[in-house]
Amino acid sequence: MSMSIDDQRYPVLMATLRRADPAPPEPDRTPAPWEANLQATCECLSWRGTLDTLERRHAEDTLGATTYADFPAHARAAVVTAHALLEQGEISERELETKMNDVRARFQQA
Amino acid sequence: MSHDHDHAHHAPIEAADEVSEFDVLETAIRELAIEKGLFSREDHRRFTEWAERIGPHGGARMVARAWLDPEFKRRLLADGTETSKEVGINWLDPTGTGTPSDNTYFYVLENTPAVHNVIVCTLCSCYPRPVLGQAPEWYKTPHYRRRVVRWPREVLAEFGLHVPLDVEVRVHDSNQKSRFMVLPMRPEGTEGWTEDQLAAIVTRDTMIGVALPRAGWTGDRSPAATPRA
Repeated sequence: MSMSIDDQRYPVLMATLRRADPAPPEPDRTPAPWEANLQATCECLSWRGTLDTLERRHAEDTLGATTYADFPAHARAAVVTAHALLEQGEISERELETKMNDVRARFQQA
Repeated sequence: MSHDHDHAHHAPIEAADEVSEFDVLETAIRELAIEKGLFSREDHRRFTEWAERIGPHGGARMVARAWLDPEFKRRLLADGTETSKEVGINWLDPTGTGTPSDNTYFYVLENTPAVHNVIVCTLCSCYPRPVLGQAPEWYKTPHYRRRVVRWPREVLAEFGLHVPLDVEVRVHDSNQKSRFMVLPMRPEGTEGWTEDQLAAIVTRDTMIGVALPRAGWTGDRSPAATPRA
């Protein structure tokens, strides 16, 4: 499988940084639970042939230095995975935005 | 120490304050992928369960056994992939789900008085997970991956490991099909120890190669509860 990921900017992903809380410096922070979930998601995507792990790691390095340079390092896997799925056409921006709104509303329920 | 802390300080979680935007993004990606059939909820649950269960115990067991059993050590150095099965680790099917990235060859690198080994993955963050568990965060950082191959002695010194100049430092670069683990030298003060005692002092970092095992350090207690190193 060969994948070329360009540095297109997806508004739905760039907006996550604007909404993100300030994080402590990387060496001092404890990984959040969602990071383990994302790791498993990435493993499943690679295992089932949608997004190869090695290709994703390369994209994290490349896009982490360009499009997502302002994002905290621990968050790059999330935005790059979403970026790759958008670019491959597996999901659309509209679908992702709608789903994120649904998830946010669900998580904010008291 | 007093334990009369005020439980009133443990206020109920304010939901809105606890929602991370990246948590939202991760959940959205996962749910969309499942809805579209890219993988199943069971796939994801299995990986999470497996990843949280494994640790460096398999690697520590192999090192301890190699210290005690020269014939096991010979087999381990000759064929790490096959010999791993003797401690219950099958590299060809470590997860039970056939992860392609884990279908790989496993090599054990012996430290000697003349050679010190350290592992890295300059491509990404390939790591011998079946024997060491999840990679530490620093192992994944670009600066470790980039610098340890260029200036290994300096990087090891940043971990507090000063390798004498007459000891050769060998850096082993992992890749999708090759994983490595360091077999450290047995430290002084462990004469007559059992395999379990020895395995307890073989910590994750000693098998990456950024630390050496010590007779008084097992890594299962808080460093703050032990004498200053």
